[in-house]
Amino acid sequence: MAASPRSADNRPIVIGIDTGGTFTDVVAVINRELKVHKLPSTPHDPAIAVLEGVRALIGPRTAQTLTYSSTVATNALLQRRGARVALFTNAGFEDLIEIGRQNRTDIYALAPARPQPLVERAMRFGVAQRTLFDGQIALELTRTELGRIARLAQRSRAQSFAICLLHSYANPSGEQALAQSLKELGRPLSVSHLILPEYREFERLSTTVVNAYVAPLMVEHLGRLERELPAHRLRIMQSDGHAIGVELARQEPVRTILSGPAAGVIGAATLARSFGVDRFITFDMGGTSTDVSLFDRRANIRSLSYPAGYPVRTPVIDIHTVGAGGGSLARIDEGGSLKVGPESAGADPGPACYGRGGDPTVTDADLVAGRLMAANFLGGRMRLYPQNAERALGRIARAMKCGLDNAARGVIRVVNANMARAVRLITVERGFDPRDFALLAFGGAGPMHACELAAELGIRRVILPSNPGLACAYGALNAALGREYSLTVRRTAPSYDELKKLMRPLMTRARREMAAQGVRSSQVENQPWLDVRYRGQSFELKVALTPHFLEDFHRAHERTFGYAARDAVVEVVNLRLEARAGEYEHRPVRIRRAARRPEPIGRISAIAQGRRRTIPVFERDHLGAATRLQGPMLLVELSATAYVAPGFTMRVDDFGNIHLEAGA
Amino acid sequence: MKLDPVTLEVMNSRLAAIAEEMGVVLGQTGYSPNIKERRDFSCALFDGSGEMVAQAAHLPVHLGSTPLSVRAAIQRLELGPGDVAAVNDPFAGGTHLPDLTLVEPVFIRGRRAPFAYVANRAHHADIGGMAPGSMALSREIYQEGFRLPPVKLIAAGQPVRDIFELFFANTRVRQEREGDLRAQIGALTVGRRRVVDLVRSQGASLVGTAMEELKSYSGRLMKAALSKLKDGTYAAEDFLDDDGFGCGPIRLCVAIQMKRGRARVDFTGSAPQVSGPVNANYAITLSAVFYVMKCLGAEAVPPNEGLMRAVKVIAPAGTIVNANEPAAVAGGNVETSQRLVDVLFRALARAAPDRIPAASSGSMSNLTIGGYDTSRGRGFTYYETIAGGAGAAPGFDGASGIHTHMTNTLNTPIEALEAYYPMRVTQYGIRAGSGGKGKFTGGDGLIRELECLVESDVSVLSERRVLAPYGLYGGGEGKRGANYLIRSGRRHTLPGKASVRLAPGDHIRIETPGGGGWGRR
Repeated sequence: MAASPRSADNRPIVIGIDTGGTFTDVVAVINRELKVHKLPSTPHDPAIAVLEGVRALIGPRTAQTLTYSSTVATNALLQRRGARVALFTNAGFEDLIEIGRQNRTDIYALAPARPQPLVERAMRFGVAQRTLFDGQIALELTRTELGRIARLAQRSRAQSFAICLLHSYANPSGEQALAQSLKELGRPLSVSHLILPEYREFERLSTTVVNAYVAPLMVEHLGRLERELPAHRLRIMQSDGHAIGVELARQEPVRTILSGPAAGVIGAATLARSFGVDRFITFDMGGTSTDVSLFDRRANIRSLSYPAGYPVRTPVIDIHTVGAGGGSLARIDEGGSLKVGPESAGADPGPACYGRGGDPTVTDADLVAGRLMAANFLGGRMRLYPQNAERALGRIARAMKCGLDNAARGVIRVVNANMARAVRLITVERGFDPRDFALLAFGGAGPMHACELAAELGIRRVILPSNPGLACAYGALNAALGREYSLTVRRTAPSYDELKKLMRPLMTRARREMAAQGVRSSQVENQPWLDVRYRGQSFELKVALTPHFLEDFHRAHERTFGYAARDAVVEVVNLRLEARAGEYEHRPVRIRRAARRPEPIGRISAIAQGRRRTIPVFERDHLGAATRLQGPMLLVELSATAYVAPGFTMRVDDFGNIHLEAGA
Repeated sequence: MKLDPVTLEVMNSRLAAIAEEMGVVLGQTGYSPNIKERRDFSCALFDGSGEMVAQAAHLPVHLGSTPLSVRAAIQRLELGPGDVAAVNDPFAGGTHLPDLTLVEPVFIRGRRAPFAYVANRAHHADIGGMAPGSMALSREIYQEGFRLPPVKLIAAGQPVRDIFELFFANTRVRQEREGDLRAQIGALTVGRRRVVDLVRSQGASLVGTAMEELKSYSGRLMKAALSKLKDGTYAAEDFLDDDGFGCGPIRLCVAIQMKRGRARVDFTGSAPQVSGPVNANYAITLSAVFYVMKCLGAEAVPPNEGLMRAVKVIAPAGTIVNANEPAAVAGGNVETSQRLVDVLFRALARAAPDRIPAASSGSMSNLTIGGYDTSRGRGFTYYETIAGGAGAAPGFDGASGIHTHMTNTLNTPIEALEAYYPMRVTQYGIRAGSGGKGKFTGGDGLIRELECLVESDVSVLSERRVLAPYGLYGGGEGKRGANYLIRSGRRHTLPGKASVRLAPGDHIRIETPGGGGWGRR
């Protein structure tokens, strides 16, 4: 028998796990203390590392709750290792999954291409049934037809079934009948009106098919974790930053596709709360790409994303990715412009300074500019070759007819400009002023570029959280349980009361599902939202359902698009209900105060504000709370190096987070 | 002042972002399904002399033509602060009447002349004329809709009510027109603000230099791409089916002379202009050349006017590729533009045999349906283009059911269409086997069939119904398209260009052409 969840010290153990491509991070709170374990991932079977990591931390004990950000669904899609899916849709529309919106992504490609449909033509089955937009049935689904479909399904040798009929959001009876007759075949069923009862058939269909495609792998994986993991409750991170119970994750794995990045934002938010910041931009710069997202008291949620090129219409934290990272390749193009990325040197050969290949990258520029210490890379575990970086960057310098330093500065300026464009896209272009936000830097290269990126955007406050590498696992640890429910209603000028009434079935379903996950109804917070537009438009803005939702919508429209049309008719398209229950929040541990002024561990020649000078280097872990220093300087730690630009003041808070303020 | 490679790249990204953002605003605030669902519009930024410096990657057919509209507006009107000009006249800088271009000057402190211009062009689902949707079988421009030479729509910040009223009085579905115009104006406002912000942070002289330098940069990239083609003259011909009035095949021909990174593109010898609505004006022909040249560039050449500095286009007036007033031009933009691309690529296939694809479907298969919706108590016009097969290319099978070359609009979701219009989609699928055979197979076309629920006027403007899309290097032709009217279960073939009246319960069925194959199997 497993040990009691209330172990020796009588406090339940809570665990958060993130499986990345390289490492699996496990964090556990045992007796109020945060324990951390990092081990190599096991991509062929992610469960191995997860089980091993948990055992290493808690031994024979059992956790109360374990929340896990999974890459199983993501990888199945990216590597196209998903299931053989059979699709059941209206006869005459079987190819919709292939036609999509009939556009192409690269308009100037000589041979335009699209991602291969996830269901091949022979596996798409037309059903004689038709529902209309108002829910009327134009063609009834007969028993004979149901029998024929069931036989086709049986013979199809599919591992997973997807069902999507036109206008099923308005009347799901056709899909329900199909689901009923296919259920006994015992394969995972993905039914469009359950996954996404919203209009726009292609996006609903694609979401349903992606769900069916990743379902069998997810079912198997979760089954194994459930059997073997020593935890009373297993939770999975969804793309919107909430966790769900394992039963829901099995039915709707499509909601977990951006599990890891979402956990990162939630982790950042939990950290930020500890130092009183609730409006910030996360800036996570890694080897090949940079992720940015806006957090304005809550994570910004987007309803449509394109993992591996397939549209998925479930809520995801709005994380914008650009192909700019430490490994991004720099080159002068045929027109004489300095290009940085999106091509990347990847992990192999990697930047020229890794000593395996010769092309110049951002990391090489950082090394030449003195933003990186050759001797101290990854805590000294990996050797860097400054001469290789100089040789590679020399090619850029020759093409630019300038010195090495100017070439390095140029590469850094261009990659910063590319990242600044990404930040402008999620702020300025959505009606926010980046100057009202702090910049939270993560990733191997984020702290190195954060000051200059902030300066370019007019941001005055940069924060380098402690343990930046654990943000995702930490986010999983602290994630609230929750799910979004939605329904297309398309009402013109509805009253507040009418909308409240329409919201009831969503509330009922939420209550039922939350209860099934062991949550008391008193713990559940329900936040009803509306997707609203001016009648005739096609893009909706999300506003909270309150008695003043109309005025809120006009204001949001004005902020986002520059005008409001107060005399125009307003249409409420979708209802959304966000049901959540915060179960746990970890309070970070205080660090010791600085006993005396810290001593630099060395000095380095660096380009700071356009000229070369010698700047001090500090070991981050040696800095006690309340340390205050003036830039420029480098701060080194195991996983990253931070560059503090001249004009920035550095302060360490009580929890070991570093705050950089731009001077007046 | 010349810009260093770093500043050039940084400014390139800043200016392109302004055009992109205008596009986001227009797409998200538009009213007609044509703009909001299908994204039939584009946005661009111009320098003080009216030369395009950045354009959002929306529709290639607007590439070369938007600059002509902007220049017409600048030349005819003296634009001051707070003015917005509108133009759609194909013989004064426009392309075809539904494409309405709005232009706004950007003024900065300390300068009396405009520092820059922002512009956008949107395809309005109706612009008046003889049939709903303004894409009918016309014989002269006067039948095609409301014609607007450059006029001030907004003067010193005040809407010119007379012009608005005149516009609404001459077009169908007023509410939609109002909403779309509001969205177009809103996008300009955002664009203007961003230019002013950029000047404030970077300084007028740097931004001005960057705009100039960006054009030279595109010019250099283009020249580098063209120098990789062998010097020589490459000629080809191709044909439009007919003009809808039985004129028979219409010849388009081109001779491209390549010489040390410069191209002279000469359409002399193309057929005289015709009575039906397939005449292209010069703006369209320029756009097609612009598009083809940009496809040849290995680098992502920023779309601006510098791109065309190494290219000279000769299109004799009075021909199908440069029609004179009062020719009917509704289909020049959507059909002849595709044939122009076909003939240009056919010629270039000899210069770059390892890259050029066989002909794609070569038609946007335009379908326009309008009338009075008795159940909803309002008039309606619905416009859709239906994709076809892409031509196969060396190493690639063509994609199926995809928009190619001069267009890239989305389809209207069936669930949006049926909720908004009195019609029902009865089939939407791939037309299997319609792609040309070959070592690499052409993409298949599409089948789209709709049932009209009320009495409706239907116009079809389509091509490649008589002459099939060509294959290359031994690859087979794509299958020709076909249009049908289905009444009481019986199929009647419609010609490629037709205007018919449908009764409730009638179906219209469009089968689009496949792409050509590449190489002998």
